[in-house]
Amino acid sequence: MPEIRVTPLGAGQDVGRSCILVSIAGKNVMLDCGMHMGFSDDRRFPDFSYITRSGRLTDFLDCVIISHFHLDHCGALPYFSEMVGYDGPIYMTQPTQAICPILLEDYRKIAVDKKGEANFFTSQMIKDCMKKVVAVHLHQTVQVDDELEIKAYYAGHVLGAAMFQIKVGSESVVYTGDYNMTPDRHLGAAWIDKCRPNLLITESTYATTIRDSKRCRERDFLKKVHETVERGGKVLIPVFALGRAQELCILLETFWERMDLKAPIYFSTGLTEKANHYYKLFIPWTNQKIRKTFVQRNMFEFKHIKAFDRAFADSPGPMVIMPGYCVQGTVGHKILSGQRKLEMEGRQVLEVKMQVEYMSFSAHADAKGIMQLVGQAEPENVLLVHGEAKKMEFLKQKIEQEFRVSCYMPANGETVTLPTSPSIPVGISLGLLKREMAQGLLPDAKKPRLLHGTLIMKDSNFRLVSSEQALKELGLAEHQLRFTCRVHLHDTRKEQEMAMRVYSHLKSVLKDHCVQHLPDGSVTVESILVQAAAHSEDPGTKVLLVSWTYQDEELGSYLTSLLKKGLPQAS
Amino acid sequence: MDPECARLLPALCAVLADPRQPVADDTCLEKLLDWFKAVTEAGSSLLLLQEHPCLVELLFHALRAQDLSPRTLSFALRLAGVFAAQENCFQHLQQGELLPGLFGEPGPLGAAAWVAPSVRSGWIQGLRSLAQHPSALRFLANSGAVDTIFSLQGDPSLFVASAAGQLLVHILDLAMREPAEGRVCPQAWDWPVCARKIVCHLEDCLRSDAAPRVTQALHVLTTTFGHCHGLWTQGLWVQLSPLVACLLEKDPMPAPHTLVDLLLSVARSSVPSSDPGLWETVAQTLTRLSPTQAGPLAAGILKLQDCPQALRIQAFNVLLQPLACVLEAAAQAPATPGLLEGAAGDPMAVDTLPPSKSACVGLLCSALAHLELLQPLPQRPSPWPQAPLLAATVTILRFCNGSAAPSSEAGGRLCTMLVGCVRVQRAALDFLGVLSQGLGPQELVTQVFAVLLEYLMSPDSSPMVLKKAFQATLRWLLSSAMPPGCCDLEPCAQLVLGELLAMLQKRLCSPCWEVRDSGLEFLTQVTRHWGGQASFRQVLLASELPELTRQLLQDPESYVRASAVAAVGQLSSWGLLAAPSSPEQPAIPQETPLEALLLILTTDSEGFPRRAVMRVFTEWLRDGHAEVAEDPERFVAEVLRAAGKDGDWEVRVQGLELALVFLERLLGPRGSSAVAPPSVTARAMRALCQVQLFEFAFRSLFDCDRPVAQKSCDLLLFLRATATPPGSPQEAGDRPNVASVEAALRRWRAGEQGQPLGELAPEAILAVLRSMDLEALRDTLAKSSDHVERSPQSLLQDMLATVGVLGDNEADCY
Repeated sequence: MPEIRVTPLGAGQDVGRSCILVSIAGKNVMLDCGMHMGFSDDRRFPDFSYITRSGRLTDFLDCVIISHFHLDHCGALPYFSEMVGYDGPIYMTQPTQAICPILLEDYRKIAVDKKGEANFFTSQMIKDCMKKVVAVHLHQTVQVDDELEIKAYYAGHVLGAAMFQIKVGSESVVYTGDYNMTPDRHLGAAWIDKCRPNLLITESTYATTIRDSKRCRERDFLKKVHETVERGGKVLIPVFALGRAQELCILLETFWERMDLKAPIYFSTGLTEKANHYYKLFIPWTNQKIRKTFVQRNMFEFKHIKAFDRAFADSPGPMVIMPGYCVQGTVGHKILSGQRKLEMEGRQVLEVKMQVEYMSFSAHADAKGIMQLVGQAEPENVLLVHGEAKKMEFLKQKIEQEFRVSCYMPANGETVTLPTSPSIPVGISLGLLKREMAQGLLPDAKKPRLLHGTLIMKDSNFRLVSSEQALKELGLAEHQLRFTCRVHLHDTRKEQEMAMRVYSHLKSVLKDHCVQHLPDGSVTVESILVQAAAHSEDPGTKVLLVSWTYQDEELGSYLTSLLKKGLPQAS
Repeated sequence: MDPECARLLPALCAVLADPRQPVADDTCLEKLLDWFKAVTEAGSSLLLLQEHPCLVELLFHALRAQDLSPRTLSFALRLAGVFAAQENCFQHLQQGELLPGLFGEPGPLGAAAWVAPSVRSGWIQGLRSLAQHPSALRFLANSGAVDTIFSLQGDPSLFVASAAGQLLVHILDLAMREPAEGRVCPQAWDWPVCARKIVCHLEDCLRSDAAPRVTQALHVLTTTFGHCHGLWTQGLWVQLSPLVACLLEKDPMPAPHTLVDLLLSVARSSVPSSDPGLWETVAQTLTRLSPTQAGPLAAGILKLQDCPQALRIQAFNVLLQPLACVLEAAAQAPATPGLLEGAAGDPMAVDTLPPSKSACVGLLCSALAHLELLQPLPQRPSPWPQAPLLAATVTILRFCNGSAAPSSEAGGRLCTMLVGCVRVQRAALDFLGVLSQGLGPQELVTQVFAVLLEYLMSPDSSPMVLKKAFQATLRWLLSSAMPPGCCDLEPCAQLVLGELLAMLQKRLCSPCWEVRDSGLEFLTQVTRHWGGQASFRQVLLASELPELTRQLLQDPESYVRASAVAAVGQLSSWGLLAAPSSPEQPAIPQETPLEALLLILTTDSEGFPRRAVMRVFTEWLRDGHAEVAEDPERFVAEVLRAAGKDGDWEVRVQGLELALVFLERLLGPRGSSAVAPPSVTARAMRALCQVQLFEFAFRSLFDCDRPVAQKSCDLLLFLRATATPPGSPQEAGDRPNVASVEAALRRWRAGEQGQPLGELAPEAILAVLRSMDLEALRDTLAKSSDHVERSPQSLLQDMLATVGVLGDNEADCY
């Protein structure tokens, strides 16, 4: 039974470490290969032993697809390709390919430099891994092999983020990765065509949230920053999600310009600076406004925002920290949870005197956006990943009710199996096609019609040919099938006389047909043969044997019913 | 447990027991469990529970509460298992009826929470932890838990099903370990009840018509024979092998991959010594499996240390067969020697490859991969058919790039299937590279180089294929050295080298950065090996490669710049970068390689090329590069000055590595434990002061990046051990002024930048070195920078602090 199977190794009823295995028409694809930032041991990466159990990784997997550069979607990639041993192709968009190594290097720095980990992937491994990447353009159909093809769609979320359609024959799966259905200050909204996949695998971070107006959030944010700066204070915004940093930079830059503010803004010289370089480069991936204006002014060339240098640090002042989500085990997490005393290295204790605010600027689709995407793509089934179980449950019901499709939410390690009805391509012989055309009807995709032929399966291919050609190719002789019927008539005359009467009767009734009386005494009408014989037990009864081919079935039946009514009396 | 944690524990238990207080995330509970494991491993669990009754209360609460979240319930189950791993604590919990409650019918098993995979997983992991002693075994046998484990083998969650299987193996091993002591292979009727129950279940599964049940049993058996080494495993095989044999005879064979895994697991265990019939079973299985299914079994057999020769030949033929088919399909007069011809008495006919493209590609790739892994092993088959394997691999590559013109119909079909197939190209190039370890007839070696050149030159080769072609070519060039390890190449390789370099010129101009990078990596390697060989030098200098490499120092892609730096470093080491000059056309003055690389070190915006420069400089200093040797002190001073200011911690670490090489040049190698004579030390100290190594090393000691500080600590410890032997008295009446150095150190320790140290007296440095507690600093640096945040105390504080604020700060990571 053909089927699509989906097994999340990560992101199944949780957020973090996205890694989803999809089997479609015999092809195996890994969607994302992320890390979990909450762990520093083996648990940070998906458990790949469940794939290696099926033999060599490179033999088992046909390709890996990375949706975007965030580490919870690509952080395990060098480990997977250079340490676990996957040697096949990796697909991602060009901006993802450019920015991915920056984040992986940063991750390595944290692991090796800050946490002192040995046996971590090296810079050379990151490079070797990136050399296995095949870059894909938006809306370009890429053939992974003869049967498997993929296509990327714009996902918003971060620069280069893409949704991927995976297609084998007529079966297809769409994986959204992370996406945003609302345009922001530097990116457009996610979009997909009505591709009607068998399955849509969608993220569901905000499965139950209808987000408030972005304008309000931005206004609040700017107000808080402005107030603090006006008071002579400083604002620290530790944005660890690349892409959000650029969004906030544009927001601040525009505000500074509008308000003619002079207070300096700095961004950290590490990651953001490096990534900015690519943001300036990949303008076609941004929103319409930035694309329109970039000739006059590249929005990522900030006037007010400068690279930060440690030398700028001076006497402490009031400060507001507004980080994004921070994982346990970090100072950010402590501050965010309201701890006012922090123990630092060497038993030094710092008092937190600043005001702490949490404001979410993450670029995920909310529940409304997810529903909108499902409506856009019109899938046959939906599968939720990258979200919390309770919230998924709510969204699942909503999707099932509204779209009348099945919705699944497997936990990590659980497999969802969907039966499919694949369409099998069949080649048609030229001869048969010509014969059909000769009947004067041109093929029309919108008007299917019946076509008679013989289906031949040879070398794993299907071909429709005329029956004559099929016999020839298969070296078979033609057999004819004849239907036979006996009609009993009460008549004492001899068989020859009887046959003569049948001939005369049929000749008079079937004027348009060729009725013949053969020398052997039998009568034919087209392919129909009528023979008269004596009844073995009753000499007063004659038996008419009527036989016909299947092509003349209609005439044969008619004739039989005619004879059953009896012959006219001789004049 | 430290007092602060003990103080926080009751509050934490209360939070965990309160369903209205959701826990921040499951990582916190995982880390909490890690901590409890560490605590119980270090001491008595019973004592821990007695000292902290809140823990038992929490477990009781988990038993009674109906509304506990699945993740907290799962945590409680696992925690109970951790405590019950110690027998006295197990009995304590048993008396309180806690364990039957948690792991028996009254607990989550019968509750609604059981639908959550995390709860089922927690239940299994809890049992896995507690199954450590005879009391646990009795508990498992009497509580009905084993039956639940049987059913969990078919769980919809891969993780739960797999854990259930592993738990069965663990219980079986635990049960059999006790009575088997001192006895050899007890008979089945002697086995403990628990073990008999599991074996009966396995027998039922193996007899079952349901494929998943068969697979589950096979998985359990594979793990058993792989992990349990008691003699009882031999008895187990005697008991179960007839059932396995029945499975092997079924048509179609159920779960062939899993059966292969089981047979290999048994073959690697002690079973073959007691059951020689196993080999017969394996041999029959090899013939019954399809070529694709038989490959892993054949490869596994060939990796065994000890197995009958006839079986090895049979297995090897399975792996060779696809390649033999290729050779046969390509056969032209005069016929290439066949792969399977030498196998005397082999009844296997050379069959055709699978008709479908994907099956054929899959079979070829796996055969090539198995042979690639086999080639370097000492137990690989002997004689190794090097020549036919080479011929087959070259043929496959030719089919793939369309350069083969097979005359046979089979060859034509194969060609159609393989042409342009990147998967097969990659596998074949990898295998071809490995085959360079053996010799081959000259004619074939020529063909190898020819096909490699075809790939390297072809515009159709993908970047990944090109990279593999470069790697294979390098391996073949290295193996063509005459005698091995020498610089001279065989004439054919010599000839190829010229063409290779011409090709390389084009590849270095590729628009694809991956190709430019692979080309530069290749150039670096060939120069490293043949940079001293006259003919190579001649060809290289006549080409535009040195100039192109120089230009690539400005490549827009940082990876390529880094590879160009390595290539320039290597070319320059062999004097292959000098601008050509002639009387008519005097050389245009160019910046020297040293100047060019220094410019990259000081100006390149990316860390990768700067790190590459530091590696080259370290190598140059170690190997005595001509330009460096002119004035090594000035060179070191200049490089350290640049590295010290670098924002990339790895560049600074590399700077310290270079400083260490410089130190070794002056004071002798590390690890010799010899103390340098005073005159040498004095001279060295003067030189070190002159290059301002101490300024760099002392600043690095307080670097915010730990590896830098650690490396500096190592360097200074080495210097102190060599220059100031322990117990050496300081010269009386000559106390140097160390105040300025110590003041600077204090400033740097506090994180201030401060003024440079300026001119330093060697004596002052030595005195400071003697007074510093570098060992203590090294111990501090060995801890990770977030060790405070990762401590159990911090974890407990964080979990308590998140209570109430969680709703506001949702997990919206990224």
